[in-house]
Amino acid sequence: MKKTILITAALVAMFTIASQQATAQLSGQQIMEKVYHNPTGDDMQSELTMTLINSRGEERIRQLKQFSKTNDDVEKKIMFFLSPADVRNTSFMNFSYTDGSDDDQWIYLPALRRVRRISSDGKSDYFMGSDFTYDDLGDRHPDEDTHKLIGEEQVNGRATYVVESTSKDPSYMYSKTITWVMKDSFLGLKREFYDRDGKLLKTLLIKSFDQIDGFWTILETEMHNVQRNHRTVMSIKNVQYNTGIRDNQFTERAMTLGL
Amino acid sequence: MKKSIIIAGMLVITLANSLYAQDDIRLNGYVRHYTGILTGGNMDYSILQNTLNLEISGRRNNTAFVVNPYLYHYFDKDLELGLREAYLDLYFDNFDLRIGRQQIIYGKAEGVFITDVVSPKDMREFLLPDFDEIRMGITAAKLNYYHGSSTFEFVWAPVFTPTKEPEEGSIWRPAMDLPAPATFDMSAKDVPARLENSELFLRFSNLGSKLDLELVGGYFWDDDPGMHLKRHIDTESGQLTGLTLTPEHHRLLMGGGSFSMPVSGFVLRGEAAYYNGKRFQTADPMAADALTEKNYLHYMLGIDYSLAGWTLNGQIIQEYIVDYEEGIRQDEFENTMTFLARKDYLRERLWVSFFSYIGLNNGDALLRPSVSYEFTDGFEILGGANIFLGDEGRFGQFSDNNMVYTKIKFSF
Repeated sequence: MKKTILITAALVAMFTIASQQATAQLSGQQIMEKVYHNPTGDDMQSELTMTLINSRGEERIRQLKQFSKTNDDVEKKIMFFLSPADVRNTSFMNFSYTDGSDDDQWIYLPALRRVRRISSDGKSDYFMGSDFTYDDLGDRHPDEDTHKLIGEEQVNGRATYVVESTSKDPSYMYSKTITWVMKDSFLGLKREFYDRDGKLLKTLLIKSFDQIDGFWTILETEMHNVQRNHRTVMSIKNVQYNTGIRDNQFTERAMTLGL
Repeated sequence: MKKSIIIAGMLVITLANSLYAQDDIRLNGYVRHYTGILTGGNMDYSILQNTLNLEISGRRNNTAFVVNPYLYHYFDKDLELGLREAYLDLYFDNFDLRIGRQQIIYGKAEGVFITDVVSPKDMREFLLPDFDEIRMGITAAKLNYYHGSSTFEFVWAPVFTPTKEPEEGSIWRPAMDLPAPATFDMSAKDVPARLENSELFLRFSNLGSKLDLELVGGYFWDDDPGMHLKRHIDTESGQLTGLTLTPEHHRLLMGGGSFSMPVSGFVLRGEAAYYNGKRFQTADPMAADALTEKNYLHYMLGIDYSLAGWTLNGQIIQEYIVDYEEGIRQDEFENTMTFLARKDYLRERLWVSFFSYIGLNNGDALLRPSVSYEFTDGFEILGGANIFLGDEGRFGQFSDNNMVYTKIKFSF
């Protein structure tokens, strides 16, 4: 019995050392690909609350319901705006392609009664007045950037890789981003965004995450614009994975009929 | 009349309040004050309007309804109570049926009506109101069938609703250049409400990964009447002594389509319609009633772009009368441009906007700068100006109507 325990312990130790060596060899590109390919289920729905906090501490709240579905080569997402009252029934739909080609985006404004395509070049625009740009909210394909592993750090007691990413597009809104990626889950724990002058613009901190239905899920994040000292707290609830959302949830019909 | 409108308005509010207590009923809307001041002359008010707009909606299983009553109060006119929409929805697996008064919007042009011919327009304040207020609801049955990302739509409108024109004496009444005093004969204006006078529309639309496409067709009444003109000539002197104008709506057949597609960071939009049987005013003395029937093309090309946080779009619009003849009052080619620039500041609290129509044939324009500020979510104050340039043309004819205005709006 004692011998069996010793052999098992030795095997576990060997496996641990081997796996540490394997992960230590990961490049910045490989780490960000693992982040990108983190399993997210075939589909997901949740309720999203954004709290916009200005430098005086005043809060404004936006609420949405969102649905997403991933097929072979495209991630489809649709958001329905619930509040404030003047944007209620507005919907936004985004198709993001795994081959890195430009997203397709549409918006439905109830006052205009029609769905219109919007330019995916507006990805540097801020989403609903928050500190998140449309690009921050999307799954940025790792091939759009050059990634460099610049270190490993402990953040809040968690072992992380530190990856610096620089866009291949010289006109991109950030000169670089630095991401702290948790080694155990390949979730980004923290990210810094640098403006085009190379100055720190924003920091994103994951404040709460959990495994739901077996998928790592970010439940609360805070984006802090350090230059203007305002922040946005984004929290999600009622998260459901793999409920069998149908393709017709991501159509003109769904956008116009709303929830 | 005024008393009955007030009672009806109170009933709507009471009904809305009691419905609101039910879980599956939603109540949204806004209260708005709108003041416009003409900047020329004595600084007269062009409008002083208070608005209550309610949207009551509900959904249960595969059914839904929407009722959108509105109340306009003016200082110089009767209280106006109307229904912008009031419809019932039935949802099935692959198709929906919507019955009742509804706004139906076609096309991809901004601020221009090319294939967008289903919902008639309320032109009592020209093109100045918000577009959901310019477009009126029509009573119709709309059947939508869905296949993948495509939609096939059939609309049957059993009764005709014409454009709502500015009242006699309104500053927004289009100028009529007539050589003699005119009287109006309204006997032929109404289209009798009967089955044979129905309007029919078909639409196909598809949202694709690289192209959004819409094809439409319609057999309908021209929302704007043809002005049949009779000249009264003194038999002895041979002088023109008067005119009789008889507005009459005519049937139109229209086919067209629109598209939008991403091109290198831009969105390129286009829209075109071919109208069969449109009436035009003519000075040709041989033309019966001073009207001539021509086919007509109306098309637009536009781009949308984002630059440094600005939303920008520009459109070039051309109208073309096929087989043009000398004497027709409208030019063979009528060219218009539009331009929009919009940007938000203070995290969508402050919006700066500039929209303009530019008439290229007459060198006239309508410039619409505005600034809005949201004090708190859903409470907005907007200030702006409407500047008409030129002396003639669609916009220049209103050059005396330059105005500044403010709108204060509470949305709930």
